[in-house]
Amino acid sequence: MIVRRQSPLNILADSLRWVVFAVVALVVNLPVLSTILTSFKTDADINAYPPKWIFTPTLDHYRTVLTSPSVDYLHYVMNSIVIAVLGTIFAIVLTLPAAYAIARYKVGAKWLLPIITNLRALPLIIFAIPFYFMFQTVGLLDTRLGLALISCIINIPIALVLFVGFVQDLPRDFDDAAKIDGASMGQILRHVVVPLSRPVMLAVFILSFIYSWNEFLFGLILTTKSAVPVTVGATFFVTSRGIEWGPTAAAMTIGVLPPLILGLFAYPYMGKSMLAGGVKG
Amino acid sequence: MSSVIAFEDRERRESRKLLVGLCIFLGVMLGFPVIVNLWYGFADASFENLTGSFIGLENYRDALSNPKMWQALGFSLRFALICTLFEVGIALVLVFILHPLLVTRPWLTAVLMLPMMVSPALMGVMYRLILNEFTGIVPVYLEMAGMAVNFLGRRSIYNTVVAIEVLQWTPFAFLILATARQTVAYEIEEAGAVDGATGWHAIFHIFLPLMRPAIVIVLFVRFIDSFRVFDHIYVLTGGGPGNLTTSISIYIYKLFFVQRTIGEAVAVSTLLLVMSLTLIVLAMRLVVRRN
Repeated sequence: MIVRRQSPLNILADSLRWVVFAVVALVVNLPVLSTILTSFKTDADINAYPPKWIFTPTLDHYRTVLTSPSVDYLHYVMNSIVIAVLGTIFAIVLTLPAAYAIARYKVGAKWLLPIITNLRALPLIIFAIPFYFMFQTVGLLDTRLGLALISCIINIPIALVLFVGFVQDLPRDFDDAAKIDGASMGQILRHVVVPLSRPVMLAVFILSFIYSWNEFLFGLILTTKSAVPVTVGATFFVTSRGIEWGPTAAAMTIGVLPPLILGLFAYPYMGKSMLAGGVKG
Repeated sequence: MSSVIAFEDRERRESRKLLVGLCIFLGVMLGFPVIVNLWYGFADASFENLTGSFIGLENYRDALSNPKMWQALGFSLRFALICTLFEVGIALVLVFILHPLLVTRPWLTAVLMLPMMVSPALMGVMYRLILNEFTGIVPVYLEMAGMAVNFLGRRSIYNTVVAIEVLQWTPFAFLILATARQTVAYEIEEAGAVDGATGWHAIFHIFLPLMRPAIVIVLFVRFIDSFRVFDHIYVLTGGGPGNLTTSISIYIYKLFFVQRTIGEAVAVSTLLLVMSLTLIVLAMRLVVRRN
């Protein structure tokens, strides 16, 4: 590390850096901040001119959103939770064994890994029409299971890349010791790899939860009523009732907080997961 | 010796079983769509007559001769190019300004990363809230400052849509480039090459060249991601006014779910698949060769 001398010039430069940081942080986070504030304002405060920054908070809009008879928002929140959790579990179950085979024995490393990582880079709309017909045929339209399968596909690339990296870093001695004791590959996976993979599994879980939760296109196309996720349901407040900013802001806040909070734990993995695609051969 | 090889062979063969689940799942989930796309691309199917009959290349002819397709494709390419350049450019400048603060305080990076965790669809709605003419805080304060802008009006909607993408994804470019900047710094300290080269000189002759692989990767990833943009534009404008903000993804969506022309929609999405694959293969070649 380079030791900086605290000359007046350096102090000035550092304060300028803080100013730049503050401005950028404010600008990029402004929509979220403003929406959260708006969700706690009364209608009168929302329409106040100039905008009010200090006000008495109210939970009215949350009450409206969660009890609205025309938009069943609580149900959409549940849908999103179920879809994200199911899709994430599917993805982990499918990719962890495969990652072990790929990382340890180089089976499929040349073709399967590139195919899957490049999946993330394809425009999702390409899959939209065929999935619509496929789900219609097998009765998965507007079901949580259907969307969970989609979210599984979306999450497989991230999960696979993170798991392959994990197994590569895992010392071979662990599974060799188990092998000498006569453990089968399945047993090694279950009793050695899975317990040791908890931290990376948590990262995969958080990241795929965020991606599933934020998914919009398939929710829009493949659901109409019973399996509508939060991202789609939140837009109902905008279109179907004119624009009532209070309830809309409350709905947004509910829809945005879970991934935001989870993301703070997973942000060190964020870049890696987003690079999982396109340009990694 | 041969028994060791035989043992390893057996292990490899056994390990293939671990891929079976994933391969079957992908086979079904991707194989079926391919079959559907192949048939509907060459059939005159409609929502009333779902099977349709074979009509050859007519759908593709319709798709390619529709000026709106070229308009949407042009929008997506232009949008992706502009957004990528802004995102990577701004991120690079910020990386060099903020680096000294970030090395000791990782939480600052986390604060800047927050927009990445927000659903682009919800981000679109939130921008609608802060940009709307009457109560949106941005237009209100601009008006007070004597600059009235209608961000969601016909004249500025294109720039608004670009700005939202840039504001949401510059953090991603920043995260990757900041990491690369840090890695380069360690390499240089190890090599002891830091003597003499300072300021602009160090940036242009040491850091930027060493960061080139990361820059190229970020450029490609952001280009590919912006090229397929759907969520925030759909929520904000629905592709309008007219076709002003119709990206290729939104165009396909409209063809299928609004105009209900199955064949043409499938033909365009097949063309999009071919284009995307070409782009990805090209990107891989370039990046792999450079690294």
